Amino acid sequence: MAFCIAVIGKDNAPLYLATSDLERELDLQYHVHAALDVVEEKCLIGKGAPESKELYLGLLYSTENHKIYGFVTNSRVKFIVVIDSSNIALRENEVRAIFRNLHMLYTDAVCNPFYIPGEQLTSKKFDKAIQKLMTGNA
Amino acid sequence: MRAAAVLSHVSAESAMSRPDYEQNALHHSCLLVLLRGVGPSRALVLQRAFEKVRRVNNIKVTDSSGVMRTIHFRFIHEHPVDHNDWGDFQTHRRLLGLITIGKFDNQTELNELCRQHESLKVRYGSTLYESRAIFFGPDAENNSLDIANHKDGVDNAQPLLQAMSEQGANTEAKIKVPEQQKQQITARLQDEFTTPSNFKSQAFFYREQDAYADLETRVGDFLHALFWVLESRRLERSREKPDRVSLLLAPFEKRDFVGLDMESRNNRKRCVGRVMKNLADLSLQAGLLDEALSLYHNANETLRSVGDSLWVGASEEGLCACSAVLLYPQLRTSPLRNTPEKWRASDATKKVNTPDVVGNTNGANALTSNSSSCSSVSSLVTSNSSASGTPTNSTSSSSTSTISVAHFGGHQRNGELPANILKPEEIPNFYRRAIINYSKYRNAATIETEAALKATRICIEQNRPLDVAMFLQNILYINLNMSEPDRVKRFEIITELYQQIGYQRKAAFFQRLAAQKHVQQGSQAPDWKQSYSLMLGSFTGYLLSLDPLEVLENAAGWPSLQIDLVQSLISAARRLGHSALATRHMTFLLQTQWNNMSATEQSEMAVQLQNLSAQCEGSPVPLVLDNGTVIPPANLTDLPYCLELVVKDMPAQLRPLRIKIAKADSGPFLFTPIHFNSVDRRDKKKDRNKIAFLWVQNDLCEVSVRLRNPLPFELAVTDMRLLSNGVVFESLPQTVVLQPHVPTHVSLHGTPMECGQLDLQGYSTHTLGVKSNCRLKHMHGRRLPPNYLVNVIPALPRIAIKTSLPQTATFSSMKKADIVVTSASLTLYNGESSSCTITITNESSSLPLEYVEVNINSNVEQKQQQKIFRIDDQALQAQLPVPPLGSIEFELLIYADADFVCPMPGGLLPQNSADYGASSPSHYSNISSSGHASLPLHVSSPHHRRHEQQNANSRSTISGAQQSLAALSLQPVGAGGSAGAGSQHIEAQLRLKYSGGEALTAGYCRQCAVSFNLELLPSAQITSWDVLPAEIASQFYLVLDISNLTAQEMSLNYTDNKNILIEAKESCRVPIPVDRCSLEQVCAARAAEIAENLERELCFRTQLLSFSDALSKLCSTHIAECVKINWMLTGTDIKGVASLRGIVLSHAMVDLTTVSPLQWSISFKDTLVQPHSEMICSVGQSTMLSITLTNQSLQPLKNLVLTIKFYQDYLNGMENYNLETRVAISGPCRVTIPIMEKHEQKQHNCSVIFFTPGRFKASIECATRPQQNNNSSISHSCPGGTNLGQLEVLAPQSVSMNAASAASFDEQQAHIWKFIPPIEVTVVEQ
Repeated sequence: MAFCIAVIGKDNAPLYLATSDLERELDLQYHVHAALDVVEEKCLIGKGAPESKELYLGLLYSTENHKIYGFVTNSRVKFIVVIDSSNIALRENEVRAIFRNLHMLYTDAVCNPFYIPGEQLTSKKFDKAIQKLMTGNA
Repeated sequence: MRAAAVLSHVSAESAMSRPDYEQNALHHSCLLVLLRGVGPSRALVLQRAFEKVRRVNNIKVTDSSGVMRTIHFRFIHEHPVDHNDWGDFQTHRRLLGLITIGKFDNQTELNELCRQHESLKVRYGSTLYESRAIFFGPDAENNSLDIANHKDGVDNAQPLLQAMSEQGANTEAKIKVPEQQKQQITARLQDEFTTPSNFKSQAFFYREQDAYADLETRVGDFLHALFWVLESRRLERSREKPDRVSLLLAPFEKRDFVGLDMESRNNRKRCVGRVMKNLADLSLQAGLLDEALSLYHNANETLRSVGDSLWVGASEEGLCACSAVLLYPQLRTSPLRNTPEKWRASDATKKVNTPDVVGNTNGANALTSNSSSCSSVSSLVTSNSSASGTPTNSTSSSSTSTISVAHFGGHQRNGELPANILKPEEIPNFYRRAIINYSKYRNAATIETEAALKATRICIEQNRPLDVAMFLQNILYINLNMSEPDRVKRFEIITELYQQIGYQRKAAFFQRLAAQKHVQQGSQAPDWKQSYSLMLGSFTGYLLSLDPLEVLENAAGWPSLQIDLVQSLISAARRLGHSALATRHMTFLLQTQWNNMSATEQSEMAVQLQNLSAQCEGSPVPLVLDNGTVIPPANLTDLPYCLELVVKDMPAQLRPLRIKIAKADSGPFLFTPIHFNSVDRRDKKKDRNKIAFLWVQNDLCEVSVRLRNPLPFELAVTDMRLLSNGVVFESLPQTVVLQPHVPTHVSLHGTPMECGQLDLQGYSTHTLGVKSNCRLKHMHGRRLPPNYLVNVIPALPRIAIKTSLPQTATFSSMKKADIVVTSASLTLYNGESSSCTITITNESSSLPLEYVEVNINSNVEQKQQQKIFRIDDQALQAQLPVPPLGSIEFELLIYADADFVCPMPGGLLPQNSADYGASSPSHYSNISSSGHASLPLHVSSPHHRRHEQQNANSRSTISGAQQSLAALSLQPVGAGGSAGAGSQHIEAQLRLKYSGGEALTAGYCRQCAVSFNLELLPSAQITSWDVLPAEIASQFYLVLDISNLTAQEMSLNYTDNKNILIEAKESCRVPIPVDRCSLEQVCAARAAEIAENLERELCFRTQLLSFSDALSKLCSTHIAECVKINWMLTGTDIKGVASLRGIVLSHAMVDLTTVSPLQWSISFKDTLVQPHSEMICSVGQSTMLSITLTNQSLQPLKNLVLTIKFYQDYLNGMENYNLETRVAISGPCRVTIPIMEKHEQKQHNCSVIFFTPGRFKASIECATRPQQNNNSSISHSCPGGTNLGQLEVLAPQSVSMNAASAASFDEQQAHIWKFIPPIEVTVVEQ
């Protein structure tokens, strides 16, 4: 369902990145990286009215093959999900659901007292859950 | 709505071949002029001409109605012909003018230039209004002045101008006049060269060195000409009857309308709408913005009603363009440069990782400018609608917007914007709609792309990054049938635009794509160079910088992307054939991404680097690319990984020391616990890099580095050198091969060539084929200071030292053994003297040795040391200075000083003196020998103890075997073993401090040492001694038992003329007559002792010296001074002197040694008894014995007891005192004398009767006994530490008694003075 799920720290350093296709991982990384500009722009706009801040940023951009969606938490950790463009069946609501799940998983992972904020996420449990989420079985 | 259904079959070639990526909205209002250089040579002068022409990009024209219009021109370099075909669709796409610039040197070249100009004219002939040629001829040397005007240019211009003159007759004159002038000016060059006959354009001739000041006016005239033609076209169009207009077509539409009913109402409308739109375009170009706006609006409405999407889009775009011209005139003067600068400045290379700040500032900046321009516009709009005429001022006063109203043309001169203008926020929407309309036509893809780019630029100006992103993203969707280079160009332009809005990541993404496209597989001519520079350009987007240090500092970005990017950069550089760059980037990769790579990657990269550097060695110098980009050096700072760097002091013998100078008096306080400023302490911490010791100019210095090789294979590091700043430093290269993961110590050497401060910054390496400068400050994660500062002092001389003695095998174990440069060993018998010649050679080739200070340290006491070693310092100093490479010698005298006397237990005497004072002298040796075993030995050094043990050994043997001294003989104990054990080892260091040259004035010196190893062998030894009265009262006999401890026969010279030979290990007894110690000396000793005791008492010292101690010392030194025993080993020339220093005398001995205070005068039978005289008397006869005593001493003697005793000496050791039956004394034999004053005489007479004949001896002695009350006074004056209270009470008393007690010290001791020799009386029968 999703090509790639990335968690990016508030200083825009990658915290976690999972792809369904290892061969294309680098390419997807490039795409995710390029999407950050728009995320930042959108965060900037949202900043003016914090109470009405929407965590879900919507479609960041789309290419021939991918649709890239963004989500930013209140702690400015960014989630980026790359989805196959050809999958028209996927609705925006489902993307939102993915992000909600992702947010929950992330919160759980970060709650680990041995995790130092700002470090890469290496939790196996988190990894497994993300893989599941990517295949759409979450 | 979609008209595309009808148009789908259109062939591709009618589409525009290439989008013009540079276009912006304002170009809609420009007249297009092709500015082209022709001919082969493109000298600098042409560039200047180009610039001059370009500068004339607008003209001001006053039209017939008196309105000032500003007409803008766009100079382009290239123009595809098929773009002209779209001239009907958008008039600004038509090429209207042509200017060629060329340079010629001769006629043929000029002909060629003309030909090219003509061919261009033909190429764009369909749309061209007018052309000009600018020719630069060769420098004139000899100008001929005859004038033959060339008329071709004028003739050629004529027909075109005529066409124009129909509309504006007034302009013709205007144009013609300058032409005449021009010809006058150019006449000279035209004389020399003539243009070919087929050249039908107007040409301007200049010489290269001309100022060509009139060029601009001429170009201006040319542009005026173009305008008027355009204006005529516009008027023509505007006068067309709406019902008679023909259908305007976009190129691809041509076949669509074949056979359609053009007279239908719909098509009529279409025709009208299109013409209206066309007229709007022309009006816009002609500077009639108001008209253009309303025409666009009308056309838009008309066309929309007939569903002509393409043209609706065009009219919408036209509206946007027209509004943009009004709203953003600044786009024209500096196309997109105002805003971009703003973005770039803040967004440069590094700050992207703090997006909040950057975003904010950017946003803020842009927003203010935007909002202000918006507000000004909106205010204008509103004010316009409310029909007030004044807001001009408000507009011009808004500083942020650069709208200059004067440019707007006639109607806008007062600053009012037309009411039907699009509001800024509407423009993107209109563009969006236009793009949607265009997108319905495949053939309009180029138009669509261009529209999107224009929209992007407007959005950038409006600071709407999200819209920009949207438009740019849209460009990618446009399915444009374009060539690969164009595709790349598209990516590049997208990159540029993203950069302008600060979307560095997006920009980088597309830049990288462009780079990849350049070298795509299957591409015919992969352009690695372009690819390379694009990739380099995308560095910032990935938070990489060319400078590795910056990257390491930031440590931000996505490592995997960074690694990938650098790797592709490396391969590009390699393909480019620029192996130096490839090596550099590989080094960069290793340096910056080391920590982000896995171990296998690390080693892979290292191997790759090795392979790359095999082609071109890397070195730490900046590389400059063709485009001027400087690639800063990259260094393998952590390969090998430096664990530790230690600056080493110089070797101890070369280490500079301060010459000690007497310290200036700094007051009584040497130390203060108060720190006046806490800065001191902080300084200590801060100066961790400051090295405490000094280095010396021109001397090799060392730094030790601990390195670890993080790679799994052997790493060879060659040419390792120290990097330094400050004084000139010559570093020696070092090569080392490091085993994987094993820390290795490497020593780096170098020589400072100047004095001053040396700043050690790190080291340079050459590893994996790359030279690197590894500076400490760049080594992170270790506790290394950024540099080390070492002070270098002026050069010091070096010396070499030689001794005349053989070297020792082992070095000494003394302190400071590290400064020892050479050693000497010597074996001496005790008492022997020797000398050692020490040669000092000044090894330095330029410095004199000016200062030498010698001192000796040894493991013996200072006093003894002074006896052993002697140096003639003055002789040494006299030889200074030593010139370079010169040498001096000096002598060290060595005397084997040792104790020749077996030490007597000193502690015994004072305690037991009372006992043996009472006993007869014959008991003495008995007591001493028997008491010896239990005596505490005075312990000093091990060898001494050994010595003593040996002595004790021998002594006990003596005491065990012999009872009397007479029979004493030494048993060789343990034969050779004892001789070896008896040898004494002395270690000494002769320390030399030396200096010279500047360093001496600076107060520095060096210290080195010669280690001496002396072995002192026992020679003669005095095992026991006694004092016997001599025949004369002024002398006594010192009887010594001397044993020869050597293995050779020894000849002993004990008085002036007496010699004795002693066999090896034998001993013998020698008597030596010695003068007694005079009374004056005794008195002096006593006085000194009293004074000392007094002082001690005042200081409440508990121990008082007893007088006898002082006296015994006095006697001991007296003997040591008087008696010198010379010995010589027969058969060799080894000889020496044994001294009796340290001989210990018992109390009785002391009495014999000193001159007696009592003078005896004894007469027997009225005759004075002479020593050894024979006295004869007969049995039964009474004989007078008269004894006279005189006190010779300075003190009175008290409590004397004079005793007379007769005895018989059997001469076998037995003496019989029981003579009651043989002799009787009439009168007391014991007489007590209570006091005897100074110089007082006492006489005692008695008579003796012998009853039997025989030989009798009389012992006459006078003894003193200490009195009871004196004892108590002593106890008073020596108060114990415990009874202090008692002391206080007693103190006054003791002080008052002091004088008395001091005077009577003598009496505290028991003394026995004998008359010697005893009187011998032979009694005969009558």
